[in-house]
Amino acid sequence: MSTIDIELHSVSKKFGANRIVKNVNLAIPKGKFVSILGPSGCGKTTTLNMIAGFESPTSGEIRIRGTDQTGIPPEARKIGLVFQNYALFPHMTVAENVGFGLKMQGRSREEVAAGAKRALKSVRLEGFENRYPKELSGGQQQRVAVARAIAPSPSVLLLDEPLSNLDLKLREAMRVELKEIQQDLGMTFVYVTHDQEEAMAMSDRIIVMQGGAVAQEGAPADIYGRPRTSFVADFIGKSNILPISAVADAKTGNGSWRVLLGTAGMPIMAARMPGLVPDKARFCCIRPEAVRLADAAGALDEPANLLTGTIQKVVNLGAYLEAWLLVDGEITLKSMIRSSRLDKLAVGHRVELAIAHAAVQLLEE
Amino acid sequence: MNRLPAILFKISLAAILAFITLPLLVVIAASVSPTPAVTFRPSDWTLGWYAALWDSRWLDPFLLSVKLAATVSVASGVLGALGAYSVAYAKCPGHTAIMSFLLSPMAVPQIVKGVAIVLFLSSAGFFNLLGTPGLVVAHIVLTLPFVVRMAATAMFNFDKRLDRAARILGARPAQRIRYVLLPLIRSGLFSGMTFAFILSFNNIPISVFLVKPGQTTLPITVINHLEYSLDPVLAAVNVASLLFILGAIILFEKIGGFSAQFHGGSK
Repeated sequence: MSTIDIELHSVSKKFGANRIVKNVNLAIPKGKFVSILGPSGCGKTTTLNMIAGFESPTSGEIRIRGTDQTGIPPEARKIGLVFQNYALFPHMTVAENVGFGLKMQGRSREEVAAGAKRALKSVRLEGFENRYPKELSGGQQQRVAVARAIAPSPSVLLLDEPLSNLDLKLREAMRVELKEIQQDLGMTFVYVTHDQEEAMAMSDRIIVMQGGAVAQEGAPADIYGRPRTSFVADFIGKSNILPISAVADAKTGNGSWRVLLGTAGMPIMAARMPGLVPDKARFCCIRPEAVRLADAAGALDEPANLLTGTIQKVVNLGAYLEAWLLVDGEITLKSMIRSSRLDKLAVGHRVELAIAHAAVQLLEE
Repeated sequence: MNRLPAILFKISLAAILAFITLPLLVVIAASVSPTPAVTFRPSDWTLGWYAALWDSRWLDPFLLSVKLAATVSVASGVLGALGAYSVAYAKCPGHTAIMSFLLSPMAVPQIVKGVAIVLFLSSAGFFNLLGTPGLVVAHIVLTLPFVVRMAATAMFNFDKRLDRAARILGARPAQRIRYVLLPLIRSGLFSGMTFAFILSFNNIPISVFLVKPGQTTLPITVINHLEYSLDPVLAAVNVASLLFILGAIILFEKIGGFSAQFHGGSK
């Protein structure tokens, strides 16, 4: 049996002269929580709509459980979809909404009722069977929408920004719950979002899309820790993205590369990137939390760049301080430093900084 | 400072309501008048004129009007729903032009419509359609725009994401129409059909050209009677019609629940 639930082979979509999706190849493994992440207009919703069957690819092929889906309408694809605005049927009760898919399959009244009850139980919304959608809160409507989509037991559930209409607290709670529901059911979830935190928190795999193409694909830790392009580095988390003038020396003893930063060409040691031709590197990315104070408390036990910086600005975020440091008279680095080090960080002070070689990531573009 | 405008508003509202209802009170009073001349003496009244209505002279036209209005309402409802579906929901090619065409009979005065239909039927040789079949067709022409308008508004307001939701849950086109679209446009469609029923039941300007002797609708019978005498029977007919229309509206409302449209959503 194939362990790939959804495959996209060279899928493109044009609306008129606009290419919304460009030559996308994907393999979504069975039983995993996969996010398609990107800013608005990156083609993620169009990709989802093509998987659901509401749009058909201009070229390329979509396979679900190994079967080519060309010409198969949405109603025959046996997949679930949770809409951004929930799209609950306003004239049906919660039980009727959730049982709708089973009813369309021609199941008996008892099977429909039992299936709806089971689905409502798995989203922890029992006892609301006879309410109408407008009598429910946003979070409860969200659960009904998930229950309705999973009740017919599809092998794949697509979710189109399902949390974007909820307030922050509820959104954070629902992240955890959605992940639990996915794990309980062992169902493949394809989750479309523009919220990188959501994608990081829930996903087994993240597919970052940019301008209709896949910019990078991998486990959340990989995407965050080893972004390949400045777009990915900038979109996922906070980062210092600095232009580099040259990779000065590709071979040094400890496996790091020596690169020159900015126009002045300040030398800095960077992590070796497998698969990256050094000459092609144009930028480097340093995460703010990797910029540390180089004293006893901030000491690193790995090879590090030692720099001197002048503090320009400090913002207190409670648990952390965000500090802007001018290094070498030319380069501004943003750093995140624990608040307990506040005494070291007066504006105008010069401080010694340490940045691990491994924390300096070279980017292709 | 706001008191005076508020009082003026209430006074004008009461005046408008009185203006609308007082003539009805006069008619009700006249219908229980004890003498053939329309008079009103509170101490001395009779229901005799209502008893006089139980006669084929009035019952036959009444039954014809009821059958006509019911047929027209159902036919306009079916045709109007189909028209609104292709124009407002499926947005067929040229849907704005077709919508204007479907609504165009509203812009033609009823007298003109009546004359036009009679001239058409007689010049095209359909003399045998004069009478009840002609009435049905002419009344459908009259009422269809109202049904199309109300059904189309309901379909414009229909959230198409609900259709997608039903689709991905496995519903075929006929199932989506039956379980999702129709229940959600039902109140708009039924209010259009109620309009059609009332318009047809009360119609004079078109019917007057199409009725045949022995097959007249109730309003035309009233007009004919009025030419010879103004007696309390007419008042009784009108009060009875009023009660019938009220009953019909209540019945339609029970089936269609259309007043919910005006109070924000069904259920």
